[in-house]
Amino acid sequence: MPLSMTNRRRVGFGAIALATAAGLALTGCTASSGGDEGGITANTGPAGDLTANFNPFSATADSTSQGLLYEQLFYYNVLTGADPKPMLGEDYEWNDDGTELTVDLRTGVQWSDGEDFTADDVAYTFQTMLDKPELNRVGFEGTVEATDDDTVVFTFDDTSFVKGPDILGQAAIVPEHVFSKLSDIATDPVEKPIGTGPYMLDTFTPQSYVYKANPNYWQSGKPEVKSIRYIALANNTSATDAIVGGDLDWSSIFIPEADKVLGSNPDVSYVATPLQQITLMTCSNADLGCTGPQTDPAVRQAIYKAMNRDQLNDLAFSGTNKQISPTFMTLGRDDDYISPDVEKETPMTADTEGADALLQSAGYAKGSDGIYAKDGQKLQLEIQVVTGYSDYIAAIDAMAEQLRAVGIEITQSAKSYNEWVAARNNGQFQLTMDSLGQGPSTDPYYLYNGNFDSTTTSPVGEQAINNFARYSNPTVDAAIVAAEQTDDVAAKTEQYFTIQKEIVKDMPYIPVLLQSTLTEFNSAKVTGWPTGDDDTENFPATWKTWDNAQTVLNLKLK
Amino acid sequence: MSTIDLGQLADPNSPTGDSGAGAGRKGLTRVFPHVTPKLWVGAGMIAAIALFGLVFPFVVQNPQAISDVGLSAPSGDHLLGTTQTGQDVFAQLAYATRGSLLIGVLVGVVAMALAIVFGVIGTYVGGFVDEAFSLFSNVVLVIPGLPLAIIVSSYVPQKGLVVIAFVIVITSWAASARVLRAITLSLRSRDYVAASRVSGEKTWRIVAVEILPNVLPVLASQFLFAVIFAILAEAGLSFLGLGVSGQFTWGSMLYFAQNGLALRLGAWWWFVPPGLMIALLGCALSLMNFAIDEIINPKLRDQTRAGVSRADRKRLARAEAAAGTTEGATA
Amino acid sequence: MRYVAQKVGFYAVALFAALTLNFFIPRLLPGDPVDILLAKMQQKGPVSEATVTSLRLLLGSDSDEPLFSQYVQYLGNLARGDLGISVSYFPAGVSTIIGQAIPWTIALIGIATILSFVFGVGLGTLAGWKRGSVLDNFIPVTTMFQAVPYFWLALILLYVFGSILRVFPLSGGYNVYEATPGLNWTFVQSAVLYGTLPALTIIISSVGGWLLGMRNMMVSTLSEDYIVTAEAKGLSPMRIRQSYAARNAVLPQFAGFAISLGFVVSGSIVTEQVFSYPGIGNALFTATQNNDYALMQGIFLVITLAVLGTNFIVDLMYGFIDPRTRAKR
Repeated sequence: MPLSMTNRRRVGFGAIALATAAGLALTGCTASSGGDEGGITANTGPAGDLTANFNPFSATADSTSQGLLYEQLFYYNVLTGADPKPMLGEDYEWNDDGTELTVDLRTGVQWSDGEDFTADDVAYTFQTMLDKPELNRVGFEGTVEATDDDTVVFTFDDTSFVKGPDILGQAAIVPEHVFSKLSDIATDPVEKPIGTGPYMLDTFTPQSYVYKANPNYWQSGKPEVKSIRYIALANNTSATDAIVGGDLDWSSIFIPEADKVLGSNPDVSYVATPLQQITLMTCSNADLGCTGPQTDPAVRQAIYKAMNRDQLNDLAFSGTNKQISPTFMTLGRDDDYISPDVEKETPMTADTEGADALLQSAGYAKGSDGIYAKDGQKLQLEIQVVTGYSDYIAAIDAMAEQLRAVGIEITQSAKSYNEWVAARNNGQFQLTMDSLGQGPSTDPYYLYNGNFDSTTTSPVGEQAINNFARYSNPTVDAAIVAAEQTDDVAAKTEQYFTIQKEIVKDMPYIPVLLQSTLTEFNSAKVTGWPTGDDDTENFPATWKTWDNAQTVLNLKLK
Repeated sequence: MSTIDLGQLADPNSPTGDSGAGAGRKGLTRVFPHVTPKLWVGAGMIAAIALFGLVFPFVVQNPQAISDVGLSAPSGDHLLGTTQTGQDVFAQLAYATRGSLLIGVLVGVVAMALAIVFGVIGTYVGGFVDEAFSLFSNVVLVIPGLPLAIIVSSYVPQKGLVVIAFVIVITSWAASARVLRAITLSLRSRDYVAASRVSGEKTWRIVAVEILPNVLPVLASQFLFAVIFAILAEAGLSFLGLGVSGQFTWGSMLYFAQNGLALRLGAWWWFVPPGLMIALLGCALSLMNFAIDEIINPKLRDQTRAGVSRADRKRLARAEAAAGTTEGATA
Repeated sequence: MRYVAQKVGFYAVALFAALTLNFFIPRLLPGDPVDILLAKMQQKGPVSEATVTSLRLLLGSDSDEPLFSQYVQYLGNLARGDLGISVSYFPAGVSTIIGQAIPWTIALIGIATILSFVFGVGLGTLAGWKRGSVLDNFIPVTTMFQAVPYFWLALILLYVFGSILRVFPLSGGYNVYEATPGLNWTFVQSAVLYGTLPALTIIISSVGGWLLGMRNMMVSTLSEDYIVTAEAKGLSPMRIRQSYAARNAVLPQFAGFAISLGFVVSGSIVTEQVFSYPGIGNALFTATQNNDYALMQGIFLVITLAVLGTNFIVDLMYGFIDPRTRAKR
């Protein structure tokens, strides 16, 4: 016989009473979390639960493990372009034709379990990549040999100068005595990582994991910060709240109006580090199947001129972005690489007359609605963007107004991330807003090879690996190949000048702004955070592999 | 605890609750007996919101126009302030009202159409069709709605208004179908329906003339539920970044306000109005639903003080005073 | 018995339909997981051709097999409990991820739903009993809370109580500094604190429905003959209200409640996004963002099983509790 209503309700009320009492008792505790003694709390980007994947070969390995737990041979500072800094490697040398690379290793380094680090570990790491192509993310092709305890020699079939930064700067060296015992290196999450880095894994739960300082670290006296705790957060709002509340010491999320938002907590500050080139990628090549007015270089140039970048920066990016160069070189750092024969800086204000002149000489005439038209077709273009990127969407809103004033009509198509990626890779877009990729070093070769080399692209409808704009220019292709063949900076720069002349004229990617990554940090317990002024600083984002270690090693406890 | 015997005021057996004591009623109350203020308040609010959404887009500023003023509080130029890119919030609200109402109505109409087909027609026809339709609606009912909507929403490339409406319809028609089915089942066995069948009326005519009118009040109530459900679902999808793109809706306004950290920046004028509009519409629809509930279910009407019109109460009071009793409700 | 057999049959069909739907939907989604992963990596660092090739080797799906044999394989795997490996949380298995997320969702949303039901039904009983009272006028207010978009309300409450008044924590499931998950008092205490505000928002926004439904049922029930009989017999009003009126009025509510328990698992997505709560809703959201077929399917399956299972149990129990449903068909 089921409980009569009376009993059920009594139980019900009882439960409520208990829960309320418990709740009230607990609200006596404050809601703020304490923080670890001598340690900081960080977040690598809102993404929900954390997974234990400390296997550096894995594509989804925790970005924090590469740099903080494991180390690479040399550190390449992509912000300043400085010479590679010795980490596990002390010195390296190429032979004359770029087919042999000799690396001298650091001595006296120990793994975090006490074993000695030797050349065998390096050889093992790269040999594993050769043996298992699915783990070969740096693209190592050739042979590797440990000639003695402290020296490793890489040999290649072809001239491979440009492969250097990937091998020296992007590969985490793993201990042979641990990894050779794993049954399946590809899928093992390596939950107890052993590395040479400044930190070791202490505890792990899906909500947070803790790194503690490695007492055997080869840089004596470092790291000063005793622990780093990474926590899970679902979205930017939670992260912002945590930063302002003092619960999160280091993170890299975009916060609109950061000055106002962070102003309430005097310990919190941020730096804006410009690195990503925001562009309007255009499907530029009618020969490869692109359709639409953007296949005409004059239209692309007109759009380039018609943008009021100051306004875009203010309204969409809270003024944190910087000026970009049509050569896509970073102004200041890369000045030596910029050809004197091309426009060095992208104008921040609109040149509507210039845009008009370009369009008119291309055969466009303004219609009665103020929009240009040619052969009965209105100058109408669609820009694709990811629905989640509210800053990009705000920028496109503003851009659409600016371009309409000139006579170009823009419609916005916001897609889910999946859809957007598929469309971009297949060339099924007219304009799409994206940033160009970063290379393993500041050598312009990687940027030009990835985005302008016709061998990496495919016709519309097929997946392209890179060069999503479907750009194909034999002069550029030849220059890229020539730059690959030599290690001489002057010779390479000549080739880059040639490339720049072509791409500034053709503009398959319309430069918008240099996007800043915001990094927020809390100085209540720790000093040594980047200030944005120092020319020797590194990229401070929490999610940046390799740079993360450099940032943390600079910190001092108060 | 006394009850007022208002039995003479209503015949509980009649589906439309027609009154026997019609004498003495004037004008509207003759046509709409037992209509409480709730209905008028609700209808009035809905009318106001609809007017706002239909007419105002023609008179407000361009909601897309950006301006350098950035995020600013309400002022003479901008009645509800501006967004992060300097767009006028009031104008956006007007367009968003239109967009959201469109989704609501679209979903409501299509969901009701499906509910009628699967709930009423299928049930009336009976036999295998009835079993199949019933099974289908029950299966659709148990499949989790929001996850399905999220997955399908990630699938559709162009998240236009109609497409999102379609996604929401998929997850909302089954509940109404079940309710209508229950009613049709009971109606199916009524005398007058049997009489029509015997006298040779065509099936479609019976459904249209005998059954549907009696299902109408419940249908109206379900329609209103569907509308508010659709608007809330669209808001939910927008919050997750999966809502309508290319058109303003209350949900999309909230999404951008949320991403622009409106609350944290103190920009209440951006974050509060869209949510408030949804709440007001929901409130209006609920009031109408209450009123309809009271029409359908005479017991509800009788037993709540609000359900008794003032005129009736006064009349009763006079009658009871004359009869010498002091029990009964006084105005 | 025929009743039970009918129910079993129905749920078997529903399960089969759900599994098939579950299989096909992710495959209809555009883009494949490798592309998504690559695109995300591109934003953060160098992605060379070699990386692309290596990823495709590692994660690429053998979509060359005919759809039907994939389907059969899928059903076979399910039978063995193998839900596959997640791409977004690679190399963690889907069952691991679901296993660690589900307890949070069930605890939070389950408790909130139960509390909401108890409050709603309790207040509804009173409202239906004291007709025309103050409580009656209270109803439109609670119904208005139901019409408010849930996340809007939640965000405002979070802002007020979390950021301004600092009474409740801003995000997370428990205090990661002080507690470790397990059966210890610190953890439970922490979990309750972190779950209070999310639970409150759920209760506020859903109590109106129970209240209204119960009140209407009470009003209908009160006009039944047996209530008049009970009154005539001279039973106390309290007794009539509890054992006669409410007991019968609550039956449909109970059925609705049980069904909403089934939806506990799926209704958590927005809550978990707002409060950064580590439950299954967040996992599903991440899965759809990354085109993680295996995880999406796994979660959808778990949700569907929960809903079907609860409905099935409710139907059986309803037949037991309310003999009228068994009587004639």
